[in-house]
Amino acid sequence: MATRAAPTRRTKGPNRAKDALHDGFLRHAGFRWLKIATLICVLAIASYMLVDVTPHHNGGSWYGYTMGTIGVLLILWLTLLGLRKRAMTRGRWSLKAWTSAHVYLGLSLIVIATLHTGFQLGWNVHTLAYALMMLVILSGLFGITVYATLPAALSNNRAEMTQVQMLDAVRAIDRQLHDAAQPLPHDKAALVRQSLEQDPFGGSLLNRLSGRYPRCATARAQAALRQWTGDQPDTGPNSSNHPLERIDALLERKQAMLARLRRHLKLKALLEIWLYVHVPATFALLAALSAHIVSVFFYW
Amino acid sequence: MSFLVRQISLTADGREIVRAATLPKPQLSLGRSAENDIHLPDLALEPDHARIEQVDERTIRVRATGTLGFDLEGRTVLRAEIDPAKGAELRFGGHRITVSRDEDGATILSIRRVDAVSEASEEKEETRVFSLRGLAPPKRLTAWGMALAILIGFLAIPIWSYASRPANDTRNIYTVVGDKAWSSGPLSQAHHALEGRCETCHQKAFVSVRDNACQTCHQDVHDHAPAVRITMARAEPGLGGRFLAGVASAFGKPPEGACVDCHREHEGAGPMQPAPQAFCTDCHGTLKDRLKDTKLGNAADFGTSHPQFSALVQTVPGKHPRFTRASLDAKPMDDSGLKFPHDIHLSATGGAARMARTMKAQYGFGDALACKDCHKPTADGVRFLPVEMERDCQMCHSLAFETIGGTVRTLRHGQPDQVIADLRAYYRSTGPAQPVALGAMARRRPGDYAQGQIYHAYFGAAAARPSRADDAIRAVFSKGGACYDCHTVAPPGANGNANWQVLPVHQPMRYMMNGWFDHAAHQTEKCESCHAAPKSHDARQLLLPDIDSCRTCHGGEKAKADVPSGCAMCHSYHIGDGAPRTPADRSARRDQADRPRKTGPEI
Repeated sequence: MATRAAPTRRTKGPNRAKDALHDGFLRHAGFRWLKIATLICVLAIASYMLVDVTPHHNGGSWYGYTMGTIGVLLILWLTLLGLRKRAMTRGRWSLKAWTSAHVYLGLSLIVIATLHTGFQLGWNVHTLAYALMMLVILSGLFGITVYATLPAALSNNRAEMTQVQMLDAVRAIDRQLHDAAQPLPHDKAALVRQSLEQDPFGGSLLNRLSGRYPRCATARAQAALRQWTGDQPDTGPNSSNHPLERIDALLERKQAMLARLRRHLKLKALLEIWLYVHVPATFALLAALSAHIVSVFFYW
Repeated sequence: MSFLVRQISLTADGREIVRAATLPKPQLSLGRSAENDIHLPDLALEPDHARIEQVDERTIRVRATGTLGFDLEGRTVLRAEIDPAKGAELRFGGHRITVSRDEDGATILSIRRVDAVSEASEEKEETRVFSLRGLAPPKRLTAWGMALAILIGFLAIPIWSYASRPANDTRNIYTVVGDKAWSSGPLSQAHHALEGRCETCHQKAFVSVRDNACQTCHQDVHDHAPAVRITMARAEPGLGGRFLAGVASAFGKPPEGACVDCHREHEGAGPMQPAPQAFCTDCHGTLKDRLKDTKLGNAADFGTSHPQFSALVQTVPGKHPRFTRASLDAKPMDDSGLKFPHDIHLSATGGAARMARTMKAQYGFGDALACKDCHKPTADGVRFLPVEMERDCQMCHSLAFETIGGTVRTLRHGQPDQVIADLRAYYRSTGPAQPVALGAMARRRPGDYAQGQIYHAYFGAAAARPSRADDAIRAVFSKGGACYDCHTVAPPGANGNANWQVLPVHQPMRYMMNGWFDHAAHQTEKCESCHAAPKSHDARQLLLPDIDSCRTCHGGEKAKADVPSGCAMCHSYHIGDGAPRTPADRSARRDQADRPRKTGPEI
C-alpha cells in the first residue's frame, strides 16, 4: 500500500498544477472565492438578523456604516481589476485568481450593499449609487454567462473558418456576382448592385445583437429576381443565355455566407456588449458613490 | 482626331498597370456591354451608357445616351463639353476618367477603377469590423460623460448652491438647489413643511444636526433630568454602540442624548414614530446599578421587567389631606373621606338594584346600577370626573325634606351650616304663624315695629320647641342620617368646633402621576375586567389594577402580546402634564370620530 501511495502523491502535485492551469477563472482553486464569498454573504445576513438596530436598519447605524465601509472598499478593489488585468502573472496572486475573486466578491456585493441600504430606497443619489452598482453587477453576471456559454456556439458557427476567411468568402461571391451580372439590363443589374453595395458589417447595434437584418439587400435582390424568373423555365445555372439562374444561385450562396457571418457577429457582439455597460456604469458608480458619501456627511 | 485610352489597374501589392490603346475614331461609345469602345464592367452603368465625341480641335462632348448621367467634377450631368487642354475629371459609376491632351493633340482618357466591386471588397480593418467599435457608443466617452454628469448634478451644483446662499436669509425664501437628491427619505408629517429646506436643520456643512437647530422651533421642551444625572445614568454601550460612538466623536458628532438620537428623521412620510424602547432602557434597564440614590425601579421591558405601579394615595383625608406614593403591591388604602360600598351599589339583587329599576325611564338605568350610572368621563375620555352628589347620587339619595306647592325643598349638600340653619328654620316655621311683614321691604304702620312685640312673639314661639330642631339636626348628622351614611361627621365640640362638621371629600382624578393611562383607549373593555368594584365593600379600597392585570394584554415593545407596548405608550421623556406623544394616526382618528354616527351613540 505504502509503495503505491508514494507515486500517487508524487504525481498528484504536478497534475493538480496542470489542472489548475486549465481551469477557468470560475472554478479556480476549487471554487475558493465562491466559498469565501458565500461565507461573507452568510455572515452578513446572519449579523443583519441578529443585530437590533432601532428604529430599523438603515445606512446610518453602526451596522450600516460597517456594511457601507466594506462595500466601498470592495467596490474600489473590484474596480482595480481594470488596472490589474493589464499585467498578467501566475501563481497565488495570478490574474486568474484575481478575476475569480473579482467575480465572486462582486456578486457578494449584492448582499452587502442591499443590507447596507436596510431596504430603504428612494429617488435620491443614494439609491442612484445602489442602482448603478446593481447595473454593474448584473452586466457582469451577463458577461460571465455569455463567456461560459457562447464560445462553444461561436466555434460551432465558424466551421473552422477564420474571420478573414469568412470575409474573403463574401468577397469571392461578390466578385462572381459582379461578373455574372454584367450582361443584365440596367434595372436587374441595379438589384444585384444593391446586394454588392450593402456593407455586411452595417446595420444598427440592434441588428448586430439580434442577428436579424430585415433590410438585407441580398435577400431583397433574390426575392425580386425570383419574382422575375418565377414564370420562366429553369434552364440551369450554366446556361449562357440565362445569367439570372447563375445569379440566383450566387445570391443563395451569399445569403448562406452572410447568415454565418452575422451569427458570428451576433455572438461576438453579445460577448462584448456587456463591457459597454459594465465599464461606463462602473465609472458612473464611482461618481455616484462619491456623491453619496460626501452628501451624507455634508448634511450629517 | 483620335482618343488615347489608358486603362489603369492596380496589382495586389499596389503597383499600377497601364494598358493604353489608341482609338482613331471621332466618337467613342462607353458602357457596360462588351461591344462598347470603352468597356467598363460596372453594374452602375447601363450597357450603352454614353458617347464621347470630338466636336472640334479644342472641344470634346460627353453625353449620356440614357437617363443616367455621369459626374463632372462632382456634379451629375447628362452632357458636357470639355476642353481637353484644360482637362476634366469624369466619373461613371465606380470608374474615374481623367481627360487630358498630349502634345500631338490627341485626347487622353485615363480610366481607373476607384470603387471596389462590392462594399465587402473594400479594405476592412478586421479588429474594427468584427467588434462593436463604432456601433456602440465608445466606452470611455460614456464612462466619463456619465461620471461627470453625476458629479456635477449631484455634487457640484448642490455644494455650489449651498456655498453661495445668502448668509442671513431671514425671509427664508432661498433654497439650496439640487440637494433634494441628497435626502435619504421623506420627512415625517410634522416636519413636512421643511422638505427641501435641508439647511434649516443641517445648518453647517459636515456638522451633524445640533440640538439648537431643533430648539429654534421647539423652545419649551423639558429636559428629562439634569444633564449630569443623565450622563451618569447611561449604560456603557455595547461593542457596536462603542464603535458608533467612536466614529461619531471622530467626526465631531455631539455625544449621546441629542434630540436626533431619539427623534429619527427621514424615516418615511407619515407620523414620526415614537422613540423605541431601547432609548429608554439604555438608562432605565439597569438604572439602579449606576444611580444608587434613585427611587425608580429598573425598567427594561413592560412585559418582563417593570416595577409594580405606584399610586399617589390619600392617607389622611380632610381639610389638610396627606398623600403618599405607594406601590400597589402593598395594597395601600386611599381614604377620600367618603364612605361608599361599591358592592351594594353594583349588586344585581339588592335594594340599590331595585331602586334603579324604578328609575329606568327617567335616568336610563338598567336592571341594576352600572359604573357609568355614577361615574362620568371627562370630555376627552381619558379619565373620570369626581362623583358629584347633585348629579350622580341625589336621584336616589334624596336630601328633600319638604314640599311646598309642588316644589321640593332639599338640604344644601356640601354646606353643613346651611343644613343646620334650614332645619332650624323649618321647625320654627311650622309653629306660630310668621309675622306677615318680616321682610325689610314690607310696608308697616309706624309703631308696629316696636321692640319686643312681634319679634318677641315669634321668637318666643319658636323657642318653645327648640328640641325638635336639634333632634332633627342630630339625626341628620348621626348614624342613620342622610349625611352620616356617606360622610365622616364630627359632632359639635370635637376638634374644637362648635358645630357639626363634615370631613371634606377629595376625589383624585389621577393616581399615577408619571404614567399615562387613557380610559378612552380601553373602551372595548368592561370596567370590571380591571377594577374589582363589585367586590369592594370599603370606599378606601384602591381599585386600581396592578401591572399583572395590564400584562394580560400589554407586553414589551417586541413582545408577542396582543398589544406590544413601548415605554412611550405611557411615559413621556419630556415630562409634562399631557399625554405622551403618540404618532398622529389620521385614519384611526377619523375612524373614531365616525363611530357614533355608524353605530349610534354609546350609552
